[in-house]
Amino acid sequence: MNSIEAEAGRLKALGESEPRLARDPVNEPMINNWVEALGDRNPAYPKFAPPAMVQVWTMYGLNGVRDADDPLGAMSKVLDAAGFTSVVATNCEQTYHRYLRPGEQLAVTTRLSDVVGPKRTALGEGWFVTTVSTWYVDDEPVAEMMFRVLKFRPPEPSGSVLRPLVNQDTEFFWQGTAKRELRIQRCPDCRRLRHPPGPFCPVCGSATPEYVLASGRGSIFSYVVHHHPPIPGKRLPVVIALVELEEGVRMLGELPDVPPDEVWIGQEVVVDWSRVDSELTLPVWRARHD
Amino acid sequence: MKTTMSTLPGKAAIAGIGATEFSKRSGRTELRLAVEAVRAALADAGLTASDVDGLVTFTMDTNSEIAVARELGIPRLSFFSRINFGGGAACATVQQAAMAVATGIAEVVVCYRAFNERSGHRFGRVSAAAAAAPTSNGIDASWSYPMGLGTPAADVAMFARRYQHVYGATSEDFGRVAVAGRRHAAVNPNAWFHGKPITLEDHQTSRWVVEPLHLLDCCQESDGGVALVVTSAQRAKDLPHPPAVIAAAAQGSGPDQFVMTSYYRDDLLGLPEMRIVGDQLWAQSGLRPGDIATAVLYDHFTPFVLVQLEELGFCGPGEAREFIAGGAIEMGGRLPVNTHGGQLGEAYIHGMNGIAEAVRQIRGTSCNQVGGPVLVTAGTGVPTSGLIVTGPGID
Amino acid sequence: MTELPELKIHTTTTFVVSTALATRDFQDVHHDRDAAVARGSQDIFLNILTTTGLVQRFVTDWAGPEALVRNISIRLGVPCYAGDTLVFSGTAKRDGKDTVVDVVGKCSLGDHVTGTVRVAGT
Repeated sequence: MNSIEAEAGRLKALGESEPRLARDPVNEPMINNWVEALGDRNPAYPKFAPPAMVQVWTMYGLNGVRDADDPLGAMSKVLDAAGFTSVVATNCEQTYHRYLRPGEQLAVTTRLSDVVGPKRTALGEGWFVTTVSTWYVDDEPVAEMMFRVLKFRPPEPSGSVLRPLVNQDTEFFWQGTAKRELRIQRCPDCRRLRHPPGPFCPVCGSATPEYVLASGRGSIFSYVVHHHPPIPGKRLPVVIALVELEEGVRMLGELPDVPPDEVWIGQEVVVDWSRVDSELTLPVWRARHD
Repeated sequence: MKTTMSTLPGKAAIAGIGATEFSKRSGRTELRLAVEAVRAALADAGLTASDVDGLVTFTMDTNSEIAVARELGIPRLSFFSRINFGGGAACATVQQAAMAVATGIAEVVVCYRAFNERSGHRFGRVSAAAAAAPTSNGIDASWSYPMGLGTPAADVAMFARRYQHVYGATSEDFGRVAVAGRRHAAVNPNAWFHGKPITLEDHQTSRWVVEPLHLLDCCQESDGGVALVVTSAQRAKDLPHPPAVIAAAAQGSGPDQFVMTSYYRDDLLGLPEMRIVGDQLWAQSGLRPGDIATAVLYDHFTPFVLVQLEELGFCGPGEAREFIAGGAIEMGGRLPVNTHGGQLGEAYIHGMNGIAEAVRQIRGTSCNQVGGPVLVTAGTGVPTSGLIVTGPGID
Repeated sequence: MTELPELKIHTTTTFVVSTALATRDFQDVHHDRDAAVARGSQDIFLNILTTTGLVQRFVTDWAGPEALVRNISIRLGVPCYAGDTLVFSGTAKRDGKDTVVDVVGKCSLGDHVTGTVRVAGT
């Protein structure tokens, strides 16, 4: 048994954390804020609290500090130390035994339910950590929540992204990406669009190119899945797609979120942005599902 | 299309070939490799350093012409030239030499290429230097390298995926090129993969490098050097070996041309720069594809061998997979290709070892002897070049 | 099987911020764009408590005030950034005395949330 599993076992054996009281009792002003923000016009509120608000009552708040015996916090520390530093919530299941009314005082306890791993996921190797929280009014359990997060180790990119050379002919493009605009060179005379850009229009010879904003939508014309050798600043394997934009020009970019075996030629994509640092933002592609 | 008749065909010949051993770690400098190869080629041609008055190499070669001349003790050079675009330069070095010889600018020109490409700077890696070159090429690279497309294998894979999609070619179709090359290399004692043929299953189970390319779709990385001695066809007749007469020599660059990333043309199915080379080769030589006995087709990555067969007219567009499926490119087939084993099987010397194999085919000394005329091509995906060499009987 | 009327939410910056604060979630990625970008996101994005609340609203908008929500079980997918549009669709079927609704919330990047909601009563 490794140290992660050992610590998970120890934390599970501790069972429920000490009950933590909600800052405020269930109350109408907070219910009203909630229904206003979410646009929920259910007339049952604020006589009752929306059941999905149960977690809201016991949030730590702006300056709150996680309890020392909070099992998710304790387990996260162990996984952080083992290099599984990133977190993403994957599942949430709430069960409501009854509706709550203003004036009721909630308390919450949490126990560690499961730590499963290491698993290979699209995000990287990681552990699924599941906790179960129970809300009480006095001794009566009124709601439960299973909450699962993936604590994962982001695959380490080697080195930093190769930076583009930029000159007066191409700076408009990179100034655009910094503003999250995808710019395509256009000839002011013959209106021909062109990518990659250059100082002249190769069709009519115009020497004063301008640009238009691309819609950012296009489809995959071809793609590769790069496994070897390492690429500076990229996590492998990486999908690089040659996209034909709606406007007709083609452009290369990474397709970061689509598993390699779910990419196909003709797949619809839309531009997104990968900010490298304050000086450089790269266009990338996301699959479109509309 | 230019219709002026070229006066180059038949004027010059390759009279000497020389090479170092092909290895993964030469253990010596690139200059030493270059000079060893040139000395071997001159000895093969029955000439000495003082006969040489011209040197040609690749812009990528790290050995300056004057350094090579110094080490050889060449007292006088009247012609020196370099060709751009990586492996696309290979046959063009011979074209430069032939033009210099045909015009009387030089009498004996040596073409050379030498590197520690495996133990030193590896071209298969992502080249931060190429991406940052303060040239128009560096600007061009800015549309691919930062986006994560930064190796030659990846550049070709992008093309190969589209080619597969449109023509229905499969990874196995690419694999047949590797199987043929390795089969030929297996009987070539100078080949790195001498005695090591592969099966199509080996190809299919080799690891991915850049999908859709497996490891065995990619050529080797090698240390070594090759040199070729070019002189007039007339003078070559008096030298020890039967001359490999240069029946045609051409360069080509196509519309909207980039280095390895010509992705912005109407389609992504052909190598128009190779068609431009081929059209000139046929026009200069008066030969047709059916006249070619052996081909040495640049094989840094297998998919472009299929495309070259199409662009050079050995078969129609998209038909190469059927052409090669019947064993046409192996010994005994319609067009044995890369009889030395190619860069997949013999060594990766930037295409120059393939020209030496063409000369052996003309001399009748290949391990996989077929004969001429032989068509040779240079690097694909880049501005490129090609040659047709014949025996002295054809002119 | 009954198809629920679609619920379309324009998740403006104001929406993302006001729902985060109404759910007492003060993590910077839900209200501070610079901080979100610095952490690798393209913008601020919807928090989980809001997603859960919207799934509930989608079902009770259809089921009416008498329906009692017993369980909300969701799987989280792609982030829903400020400026996007989140569209809920769902189908309801009876399960004994309860009704179970399968819910999908899609934004431009794909499925933001999928799950089921169990309601009793009506």
